[in-house]
Amino acid sequence: MADSATIPRPDEDDSDLKRSITGKLLFFYTLGDVLGSGIYVLIGLVAAAVGGAFWIAFALGVTVAAITGAAYAELVTKYPQAAGASLYVNKAFGSRPLTFLITVAFLSASMAASGSLAVGFASYFSEVWSAPPALLVSLVFIALLVVVNFIGITESVWMNMLMTFVEVAGLAIVLVIGIVYVAQGNADFGVLAQIETGGDYSSPALAVLAGIAFSFFAMTGFENTANVAEETIEPYKAFPRSLVGGMMVAGLVYVLVSMAAALTVPVETLAESDAALLEVVKAGILPFSTDLMTMLFSVIALIAITNTTLVTIVTQPRVLYGMAREDVVPGVFAKIHPVRRSPWVGLLFSGFVVGSLLVIGTLVTEAGGGIDLVGRLATVTVVLLLAIYALVIVACLRLRGRDEHDRIFHASTPLLFVGLVGNLAILGFTVYDDPYSLVWCAGLLGVGLVLFLAEYFFGDKGTGSRAPDLDAATAAGSSTRED
Amino acid sequence: MHVIVATDGSKQSLAAAKHLKSFADPTKITEISVVAVVRPLASVAFADDLSEGRLDGSFRDAARSAVDTIAGVFEGWGPKVSKRIRSGSAANEIIKAAKQYDAGLVVVAAGGRGLSDSVLVGSTAQRVQHYAPCPVLVVRPAPRKKK
Repeated sequence: MADSATIPRPDEDDSDLKRSITGKLLFFYTLGDVLGSGIYVLIGLVAAAVGGAFWIAFALGVTVAAITGAAYAELVTKYPQAAGASLYVNKAFGSRPLTFLITVAFLSASMAASGSLAVGFASYFSEVWSAPPALLVSLVFIALLVVVNFIGITESVWMNMLMTFVEVAGLAIVLVIGIVYVAQGNADFGVLAQIETGGDYSSPALAVLAGIAFSFFAMTGFENTANVAEETIEPYKAFPRSLVGGMMVAGLVYVLVSMAAALTVPVETLAESDAALLEVVKAGILPFSTDLMTMLFSVIALIAITNTTLVTIVTQPRVLYGMAREDVVPGVFAKIHPVRRSPWVGLLFSGFVVGSLLVIGTLVTEAGGGIDLVGRLATVTVVLLLAIYALVIVACLRLRGRDEHDRIFHASTPLLFVGLVGNLAILGFTVYDDPYSLVWCAGLLGVGLVLFLAEYFFGDKGTGSRAPDLDAATAAGSSTRED
Repeated sequence: MHVIVATDGSKQSLAAAKHLKSFADPTKITEISVVAVVRPLASVAFADDLSEGRLDGSFRDAARSAVDTIAGVFEGWGPKVSKRIRSGSAANEIIKAAKQYDAGLVVVAAGGRGLSDSVLVGSTAQRVQHYAPCPVLVVRPAPRKKK
């Protein structure tokens, strides 16, 4: 009766409990999730902050993120469940208010990320078709993803892998352009050591730190791999390899792409562009029609951004569902559509909040608020996630010696301390550099608080844990059809 | 005959199981496999509406408890009951299970009433009906009574 493709596990004795996520799929899930967020959207901001040497910011940022990834890998192998940071913080500190805060912070970060990605999507979309206004494009984009998620097309692992391949292909185009340019002998490698100190940041260290802070959005996304922890075959082996390995590959790609971009396009041009990687393609180094390449590359960038945004839109209703079952937010978020088995209320709510962020952001920008919406929402995501990452590393250290067994992966302790300091340093700088982002963070956390109060005062206690009325189901099955 | 009873954790899937028991002859059935499919990339990988209790971050536990509830229906009925949890896309896994266990019948629930079921094509029950290697019993909810 056993499937030949399934590796038997000790806890799968009486019934065949099959898992479906292999180490390879997990690797591509991590890679796709990380690569799509940011490099297409944010490279211009990073180049503006650092100057030609902005690859250093990517290298350092991804190192901090990979160490955090190692902490996640340790905790996932210890508690292979789908809840992620909230679960680890709950296990480590056992404080319900703190767990709630972390859960809401994670939800908020995910929503801000969706918003930032949607604005990035609109920037690239305008290269393909410039007629519709950006706000409309980003709103339709989010609405479509909500519908797609409701129907359940997002569930195909092969689709996920295909999109990741397309993403990597897009970055490979940038690399090839860089290599051709260098081979032609036109490259001035001096630009790679150039750190801008004449601008906003007086010292090179500060400029690089700013670059790391701006680039850090591109490192996020790996925490979503905890989503599939339970369904991973041999998680003890797969997680450390695929998660940390995926981060390192992503880091290498980032560094090479940054170098290629810096060598081929003047840093000022990158800094001013909404869709900076497109400038590399437009530089006309490859012997193809620039229009064709621009179109192709824009489509690839759109697919990359879509892939990552989809994961965020999948995660938000899941978090809300978990909280509704815990009775900390109203029970409607645990409502599952009878046909689709999708948490449709949570999905609509996520779509609504992300849409509101986009509308409010656009209004503030138009009223002369002087913000860059992609950057602002990315900063909000980064601030919230850095706080969560730091806490996850602390939780990882605190849970040492608890629930241990042989197969758990252990991250290096000194590295974890380096990661903790790194996360806090970037967090400190980000908040110092853009204190108004805290207002946005507070606004999003406030949404969570409102939901909590709604449940507290008006909620039906025990929505999550009430025994269902099963006899009602018998009556419902009276009419049948046979094929 | 090996019968597969699929559950997605819905009350309708419990109704489907009870419906099978209401007319089928237990002496003709050699084994019943209760199958639940966890969908790792879905927002809610498995929603169990059949039992009380919280979701402690484990969708596997949710699937396990739904399978237990359905298996409970057939307790003492005669055929051997096995519980199976699979992972992936619901329709694919049910069809694969039917082939693998050489099933003689697959029992699935169709959750929708009216519009939602006919407009939203590609539901699990429809795909199982089309591609299963054996007869399929689709248990639909009773139409709402007119008041």
